[in-house]
Amino acid sequence: MKIRKKYLFYLLAFTSSIIAALLTGIDVILEQYLKNPWVLGLTIFYIGVLMSFIFTLVFSIPYKGKSLGARTIDPTFKRIRLFKRVELKYHLLAGAGNAILTLGYFALLIIIKDPSIVLPFSQVVILYLVIIESVTEKNTPTLVEVQSSIIVTFGAILGSISLSGTISLQALAIVFLVINPGWVLLSINQRKLKTIRIDNKPNDAINIRLWNVIFACLFCAIFTLIFDYLNGTNNLIEAVYSLFNQFGWLILVGSGTFFSFVFYIRALGIGKASVTQAVRSSVIIFTIPVSITLAYFGYIDPITTDPVLVLIKLIGIILIILGIISFALTLVKAYIFIKLKPGYPIEKTMQKLWDIKGVNRVCAVAGEYDVIIKIRTRTLLKGYENILRKLESIEEIKDFKWQSVLKDWENI
Amino acid sequence: MGEKMITSYILINMQPGNSDNAIKEMRKIENIQKISIVTGEYDIVLRVETKTLDKLLKVTDKIQMIKGVNKTTTQVIEKEIAL
Repeated sequence: MKIRKKYLFYLLAFTSSIIAALLTGIDVILEQYLKNPWVLGLTIFYIGVLMSFIFTLVFSIPYKGKSLGARTIDPTFKRIRLFKRVELKYHLLAGAGNAILTLGYFALLIIIKDPSIVLPFSQVVILYLVIIESVTEKNTPTLVEVQSSIIVTFGAILGSISLSGTISLQALAIVFLVINPGWVLLSINQRKLKTIRIDNKPNDAINIRLWNVIFACLFCAIFTLIFDYLNGTNNLIEAVYSLFNQFGWLILVGSGTFFSFVFYIRALGIGKASVTQAVRSSVIIFTIPVSITLAYFGYIDPITTDPVLVLIKLIGIILIILGIISFALTLVKAYIFIKLKPGYPIEKTMQKLWDIKGVNRVCAVAGEYDVIIKIRTRTLLKGYENILRKLESIEEIKDFKWQSVLKDWENI
Repeated sequence: MGEKMITSYILINMQPGNSDNAIKEMRKIENIQKISIVTGEYDIVLRVETKTLDKLLKVTDKIQMIKGVNKTTTQVIEKEIAL
């Protein structure tokens, strides 16, 4: 089946958000029973490892020549496998990020309770991502990217105002110093993992998720052990008990998180981390019905009906949606077909082309042309300044043709 | 071992007026990984993955059978750098 690439990306990111919103609801219910972030975090990771392992095994079952996972979720998935050496560094970083993020998130949930407040705060992470991408991904952010990220951020801040009108400083500190840095670490390294090629094929989201949760569980256990040692508590063992006491809810959380992350990682493989994060910030819209349901059943304080607070929250949500749309509508893609002069080593020329900002694929080909490159840029002006001018300065190039992409489909 | 796939770009010139239908047909072909409508000298760029050159020939054949396709130019990828 082929689907417009843009739609595939949104489908994945939104599905991931909806699942994540539902999960926060369940987290709130769990939090009523396990009132300690260490126990809660560790229990979630125990079940996470178990469920991810089971799902990955099931998805490895072959069916008519392809694995079940390849048929349903990620066409690049073959079967469960050990992580490769090149992946280790990124898995360690992503695992640590996930462990930090999760512990911070549960600490926050215990302070604030209402998921429609907790999640918007964490959306500010997009600002961090835009900054880091401009440093690492040979890509300076354009005005549109800066604008959209700021709109999303302000939207998130407005949307996160508690419906009872309070903002807790302790909560803010956890968000900015613990949760968001954790997210950045996780998100950037997960994207790196998704773009590494394994046996000359793209890396698959299912194995990345499995190993991420294993490493995160390890880090979480280490952090808890240190905390236990310093404070004389016994959270490590307590988490094992709670695993058996809350097995029903935990299975739901474990399987939900697995799919939420697999979809998220696949989306990361298609778009830039900051754009994926922007789309995923729609999670705060989906948490509102979850919060209303929780309030209805008495798990959290009743939702206020103060028109001013409701209006502010609404404005916040509108800003977030606007920010996301302006992100989405401003990507220019093009193929450039290049003919080279004879007498130069091709590998060197390829490297020169690859070093140009905005170039995301360089292929040496046999046929009428010598090299085909694929570029992505935010504006045509930038495309001219950053790419065409550079191409003209490479002396090996005899001739090139720019072909703008108007619309594209991708196999899923 | 991961089997080596042959990846190629097929550049297509179309007769005016048949694009929508032709794309619908191309979307049914399994080996086509990506379809892009472009402006400039060509009209459509396809990215195709096949196990053998023989299979690639079959795919190009299928594409040439589609109504509206005027000319195809196949470019087989020998080396690739990508994110």
